[in-house]
Formats: sequence, structure tokens, C-alpha cells
Amino acid sequence: MDASPTSRAILSCSNMTCELDSVTGPLKILQDINFSIDTRRALGIVGESGAGKSMLVKAIMGIAPRGLRIAGKIELDGQDLSKLKPKDRRKLIGRRVGIVFQNPMTSLNPFVQIGQQIEEGGRIHLGLSHNEARRRAIELLNLVGIPDAADCYDYYPHQFSGGMKQRIMIAAALICEPDLLIADEATTALDVTVQKEVLDLLQNIQAERQMSMILVSHNLGVVAGRTDEILVLYGGNVVEYGPTAEVFRNPRHRYTEALLSAMPQMDQPAHTRLRTIPGQPPNLASRPKGCPFAPRCPAAQAICHDVMPDVSTGIEASHRFACHFPLSEISRLTPVEAAHVQ
Amino acid sequence: MTDIGNPLGLNPGPDAKLSEIVRAATPWSSKLRLSGGSVSDTVAAIFLVLLILVALFVDFIPGLVSPRLPYGDFSQLPDWSLNGLLGTDDIGRSIFSRVLYGARTSMMIVAISTTIALVAGLLLGMLAGYYRGYFERAVDLFANALAAMPSTLVVLAFVAVTGPSVITIIVVLGIFDIGTYARVAKAGVISQSNRDYVLAARAMGATDGRILLQEILPNLIPALTAVMPTLMAGLIITEGSLSFLGYGIPAPAPSWGGMIASSTDLLSRFPLLILGPVLAIVFTVYAFNTIGDYLAQRLNNRERES
Amino acid sequence: MSSDVSNGDDIILEVRNLSVSFSRGGRQMKAVDDVSFTVAAGETLGLVGESGSGKTTIGRAILRLLPSANTISSGHVRYKQTYLDTLSSTDMRHMRSRLQMIFQDPLSSFNPRRNVEDIVAEGLVIQGKPAAERRERVKAALAAVSFDLEAVAGRRPHQFSGGQCQRIAIARSLAVEPELIVCDEPVASLDVSVQAQVINLLQDIRESRKLALIFISHDLAVVKNVSDRVAVLYMGRIVEIGTGEAIYERPAHPYTRTLLEAVPVVDASRKIVPDGKRTVMPSRNNVQSGCAFRGRCPRASAICETSVPQLSPMPRGQMVACHHPHDEPAPGLAVA
Repeated sequence: MDASPTSRAILSCSNMTCELDSVTGPLKILQDINFSIDTRRALGIVGESGAGKSMLVKAIMGIAPRGLRIAGKIELDGQDLSKLKPKDRRKLIGRRVGIVFQNPMTSLNPFVQIGQQIEEGGRIHLGLSHNEARRRAIELLNLVGIPDAADCYDYYPHQFSGGMKQRIMIAAALICEPDLLIADEATTALDVTVQKEVLDLLQNIQAERQMSMILVSHNLGVVAGRTDEILVLYGGNVVEYGPTAEVFRNPRHRYTEALLSAMPQMDQPAHTRLRTIPGQPPNLASRPKGCPFAPRCPAAQAICHDVMPDVSTGIEASHRFACHFPLSEISRLTPVEAAHVQ
Repeated sequence: MTDIGNPLGLNPGPDAKLSEIVRAATPWSSKLRLSGGSVSDTVAAIFLVLLILVALFVDFIPGLVSPRLPYGDFSQLPDWSLNGLLGTDDIGRSIFSRVLYGARTSMMIVAISTTIALVAGLLLGMLAGYYRGYFERAVDLFANALAAMPSTLVVLAFVAVTGPSVITIIVVLGIFDIGTYARVAKAGVISQSNRDYVLAARAMGATDGRILLQEILPNLIPALTAVMPTLMAGLIITEGSLSFLGYGIPAPAPSWGGMIASSTDLLSRFPLLILGPVLAIVFTVYAFNTIGDYLAQRLNNRERES
Repeated sequence: MSSDVSNGDDIILEVRNLSVSFSRGGRQMKAVDDVSFTVAAGETLGLVGESGSGKTTIGRAILRLLPSANTISSGHVRYKQTYLDTLSSTDMRHMRSRLQMIFQDPLSSFNPRRNVEDIVAEGLVIQGKPAAERRERVKAALAAVSFDLEAVAGRRPHQFSGGQCQRIAIARSLAVEPELIVCDEPVASLDVSVQAQVINLLQDIRESRKLALIFISHDLAVVKNVSDRVAVLYMGRIVEIGTGEAIYERPAHPYTRTLLEAVPVVDASRKIVPDGKRTVMPSRNNVQSGCAFRGRCPRASAICETSVPQLSPMPRGQMVACHHPHDEPAPGLAVA
């Protein structure tokens, strides 16, 4: 999937660092984040708890907690967001970026009919008239697969199931026809069959509307096969970033590799012992200098604890990772491929 | 909540979660006095502490004259001496002294009535919430009936029949608050009963009694302490009204309402006679209500984070 | 060889015709519908299903932890020689130490005001064991989950991470030396790297103590890894039950296939082609006739509407409740 010559970066982060003040001194929640998404591409952001995924999304959307200091550049379609006044920034993001959050139970206002909640973005950012907004909202409800959209327009959130609420959230995110859609753990709270449908829906919409998409998840399987690039976060740092297929086939950072191996596979026999990563995800209050993964890494040397690794590239220039002693370039067979090789 | 050693609620430890760190980092928390409260919350808290101290130790205040014996001229204006701070009443007694001794009366009523209401309310509410069914409906009926009654009038009727005595007033006032405590306790028990840690205790073989006392009851305390001060304020007002009407604590025991009552005839000529008791009631009720709001707000914040 | 029954005659738990209904707003909602299975000593039975499948309710019903108000349950639960469903509450309390439970959110299963030592000792305190014995057993239980008693004793649960809390919860159950532990989504709220630690830990203590486990989860990969036998639940009924191999390699029930296909797998070579299907979830209040899955089933026919399928054996050994079960291997998963 090559980026066509006319594509450009819809969102890019350059050397972004997010800090929060605390009694113990400034805490670096995110450090030196560099990535970009082109139009019509999908990016997956994966990481465990404490990696900073939600803070990254909030920083981009401008809804981070008040004390957060953001350094570096976040550019939306070439415009530097930090140079904008908060009001202008809100308008720009509201118009061009849509977001679907994790918990459908709490994202929708239980006291307002869903049709109105979908309309809202359109009325505010596009200045649509009531009729026009209603028309678009019903169109979107049909698109996301809500049956009898015109009737359901006046229903309240509690009358829908979790999966349908997420579909409604997607409709609300699309009303302004955004260029970028962010799904922040959007399917984590859903049943696995519903999750598949919602992810399929997102993928179809992305293709139809030629949008860019960011899928944030702690579940690697969710981003596999549905994204073009993947960004692996650990302890607030980008540890690996590159084309999804390449990263999964050929993980260079030991955390990525360990994460892949720690997941139970369905074709392993019962009681297979899983490879664990000793210790637990890092604590923000006591971040070591040097590589954040060093305390848990089986191959860590002295330098790993002291010096933050630079970014190196793999065979493909687009595959980047930050490790002093990365895994070698041997292709790692996926379980499916391995089964066929016998 | 009893974080006296950490009034600002700051300094999350090394294992603190991100949410705790974020909360501690927000700038406005540095201006607070009482953990999470405002200046008026602190003032109210200090006032109540002083009030309780006065109620307990008023006898030992040096130089304070007796509240029952005249010590000066009639209806004197307030001056800057200890006993003359609020002037004298029509019999020449120190109003200031009577206000302070009145505090003892009021606090005593509040303490005992609240104890009665709390114990009975907890018992009924916890059993209703844990076992539900018919008992729950009976308790609901009881609480609603009490809430529907105009308490002051009913107490009045009681006292008119049995004659004003301290015991009657305290008991009847206490009974009226049972409903509220029972309702709060019941709601708390229902919400806690389905929590995992209660299930875990049952899975360990804990008896119902143990669960109620050791697991659930301690977790009811925040909700109860949030509602207590407001009820206590109501007790002060009701007692004041009763005494004003002449059906409260019998004279010559000093009571704020009674002091107001006995001054009504002379108000046109000596308006400052009621200054003392009125200020006492107003500040006390205000302090109780403020603390009640503060505790309720703290409770909400805690609930949200759990 | 039918496999709704475990191998061997050391069956320690037998559930027969268990049904549980909750009444809500005047209406009855059937959460568990005529479920039967057995568990042998040292065996792990996985209960897998989505929300509404009844898996959590089954776990709680076995341990008699369902709320007493608004709940109706019927059927038998036999633990060794004792019928748990007919015991008085006093006698049931005495049985509690043999059957324990681990919850999904470990932090919420701890009383926030207790410290770790008291939490782990709670079962022993209730049994009235003397302090010295308690201390010993608590120490041993914590050691079994790789915690040193001295290091953690006085600390409170909120100071620990999710994975550590789950280990403390496991220690709490181990302290009373049970023979069967119901694990209700024990790793669902944990990160992948920590999940692996807890799963391995469960395997270790299961082997060393010959513990039987009932492992409830919605995560098919985890269930496959930990279980000897697996029961697939849909709308309160067991639709398929058998060994992990049989079910995952040759899933017979269409719902099992749907589930397996929906699991997001990391497969670098495959780019997912999304389909536009949107399933209609059956309403739980209007119980329809016949098979509960027929609204979503591509193989549904007339008989599915009129007759509720019962569990019957398949050639590979599992039992399936379907009028038109599959008999070919699952696509893409079969090992040559």
C-alpha cells in the first residue's frame, strides 16, 4: 500500500513531550513522540496501561488535563496546533477530527435523544440548519447500521445495546465529515463478535470516505490486519514504529517481540507455558533514565539503563525502533505461517 | 477525610496512579485549607470545635458568672467585659453566660437525639437493605411516614400532653430523624452488598452479621457523616422553636429559644436583648450546614474516583 | 466417548440441570437454562461466552453467591458426596473453604480498609484458626504467589498494581486450601504481559496442588491455553462442550465458529477484509421458540424454530446442541 504522490500528512507529531508537575518533580508522561499519518492511511497505536496512549490522544485533541505541559509540535494538515488560540484550535479539531471513546455507556448523555447528540457537532462546527443536520444524522445512522434510523432518531441511549451505542458514537464522530477518525479503545468494552462488526464498520467507512484513522488499543490483534502502520508505546516512549505487517513479522524491539510472545495463541496446545515479561509496566513517578524497558529486558546492559537509545531503522526505512541491542533481522514467522512450514 | 496529617491531600506515594498525580498537580489545590474545602469550611469547623469545647467545659471558664443569678442592672447594653459582652437581660442575668450555657443545652440535645436516631436508623436501615423483601417495605413506609409529618407540630402535641421534660423532647426529636438515617443506611447497604468484596467475604464463609458489621458498616460512615450535620442543624432549630413557644426545656435552664421568648415583650425598647441567642442559633446552624455540605462534597468526590 | 462428563471417577463437582432466573420489573429473565457438566479433580473446565451467556451466573450459582432477592434457581450442584443446593446456610459456610472464587477486578474484591495480611488471613480468621497458624499459612500462601510476607504485610491493596492484586487474591483463596477454584474472568482487566504471569501462576499452583479450576472468560485464546475441557455458552445454554482440541480445531456449533472467526489474531500475512454484516441481537425478554441462535445462524431451518436442540455427541468427542452441526475443520486453524 504505497502512499500516492498526492497524499500528505494529515497529522504529525514532532518531538512531542508531555509533562505534568507533581510534588516529586516534573513527570514525563510522553517523551519525544514522532509519527505522522498520511491521508487515507490507518495507524495503530498500541501499548499497555501507563504507556501514555490515552494521554497522547488527549494531547492531540486538546483535552488533556489542565496542568499538562506539551512541548514539541502537533500539526493537523500542516497547521501547528500549539500556535493557535484555544478557541480556534477547538474549532479546527472539532471540524476535522472525529473521536470515538472507549465506554459507550458514559460517552452519550443519557438525558438527550441520540439524534440530537449526533446533530450537535454538525450544528456547532458546520453551522447546519436543524433540518439539514437531521437529514445528515439519519443518513449516518443508516450508514452505521442502526435499523429504522428515522424512528431511532428520537430514542434515548439506554434503549440501545453497547454495540449499537458505539455505532451511534461513530455516527456522531462522522457528522462533520472529518479527515481523521480516532478510535480510542473503541471496542474494548464490547463482546468479541460485536467488536469484529464495529471494527469492520470502521474499516469500511474509512475506505469509503477516504479518511485517515487512528486505532488505539492494548489488543495487538485489533490493529493487526486493519492498519497500515503501527506505533508501539512503552513507558511514554515510542519503542517501535513502522508498517504493521513488517513490525509483526520482524519485531526489532524486544518489548514488541516479548508482547507478541506473551499472548496465548489459539493453535498452541493446552497448558502451553507462556513467555512472560518479568516485572510490571513502569511507574511514571519513578522513571529511570535510559530505556524505559531496561528494567524488564532480558538483554539489558549497563548502557541501556543510563542512555536513552537513538532511533535506528530496519531494512525498510519506514521501520524505526529505539533499542541499543535490537533483535536481529531474522524474519519471525507468524504462527499461521509456522504451522504451514512444518 | 481525617487526613489531619496531610491537610492538602498532596504527596501521592511512589506507586501513585496517574489520576492521583494529576489531581495533586492541579494548581488550585495549593490555596486550600481544609483538605478539599474552602475558607468558610475551615471557619465552620473551628466554630463547631469551639462550640463543643464550650458545651463541655463552660463551668471552668474563669470569671464567668452563673447564668441563673442576676449580676448587674437590668437590660444593660453590651460592653467590653467578659460577662457584659452581650449585655444583661430583664432580670439582670448575663446574656453571654446564658448563651454559653445554652450551648451546653443545645449540644446535649443534639448529641443524645442524634445517637438515638443513628442507632435505631442504622439497625433498621442495614437490615432492610441486606434482607430486602417485606422488611424493607415496612422500613420504607416508616421512614416515609415520619418524613410526611410536620415534626415540630407533632413534638408540640406530645409535649403538650406529657408536659415539658427533657427526656420527652430528646426522645421524640430523636425518633423523627430515624427515617433519614435508615434511608441512607439502607441505600448504602444495597449498593455495597453487590460489591465484589462482600461476595468475597461470603465466599470465605463469613456470617451475615460479620459482613454487615465488618465489611459494610465502615463503608457507610462517609454517607452518614455527610448527612448528620444537616440533621443536627435541624435539631437546633426545632429545639429553638419549641423553647420559643414555651414547650422546650423548662425554665430556668438556659436555652436559646427560651431566651428569645422571654425577650419578646421588651423588644421594642431593648432590641439588643435577643442579639445573643439569635447570633448563637444562626452561627451554629450555619456551621453545621456548611460542614454538612463539605462532607457531602467530599463523599461525592470519593465515590467518583472509586 | 461423550465428553460432557470428565474422565475418570474422581469427579468432584457435578452440575445437573442448573437454571437461574432473575426477576426484574415484574418479568423473569432466564440467565442460565438447564446447564449440566462435571469437573474432575485437577481438571480445568473453561466456560466461554459473551455477555448474556450466563457464564458468571453459573460460577456464582455453584458457590451459592447469587443474591437471594429476586433470584430463582433450580437444579443440583453436587460437590463430592454433598448436594450444595440443599445445604443450610450454616453448613454451606463450613463447605466454603473447599470451593473458592477469584474475581475479575481484584481491587474491588478487597475491603479497601484492610491491609494485605488481614485480607489473605480473612478465611482463616473466620474459621477461627489461632494466630500462629494463621501467620504460617498466610506466609505460605503469599510465597506460593511469589510475595514475601514481611515485604507486603502492612500495605494496602491500592498500593499494588492490577497483576499484583490478582496474585494477592489468589493467595487469599489458597490460604484456606480449597479443592476447586472458580476463576471469574481473572485476567480480563490485566495487561498482556501481566496476564501471562498470572496464567502461568495459575498453572503452577494447579499442578502442585491438584486443584480443579472452572475458568470463566470471554477470551478464547486464554481459555484454550488454560483449559482441559471447554464449554461454549450462548444465552444461558451450553451449545458445545468438549476438549479444547476438539472444539478449537473442529468447532461443531455455528456459534462457536462465529466466535472463533471474530477473535482478533495477530497474523502478519493477513489483511482483514471487512464484511458488512450486522447481527440482530436476540432480545432477552422475549424468549423465542426453538434454538436461541437461529436468528443469527446461517444454517437455520424449520426445525430450528420449533425444537430446542439438545446436547448430542459428535465423532471427535465433543457434545453439541445443534440440529445442523459442522463436521469439517475450522478454516485456517487446522494443523496439518
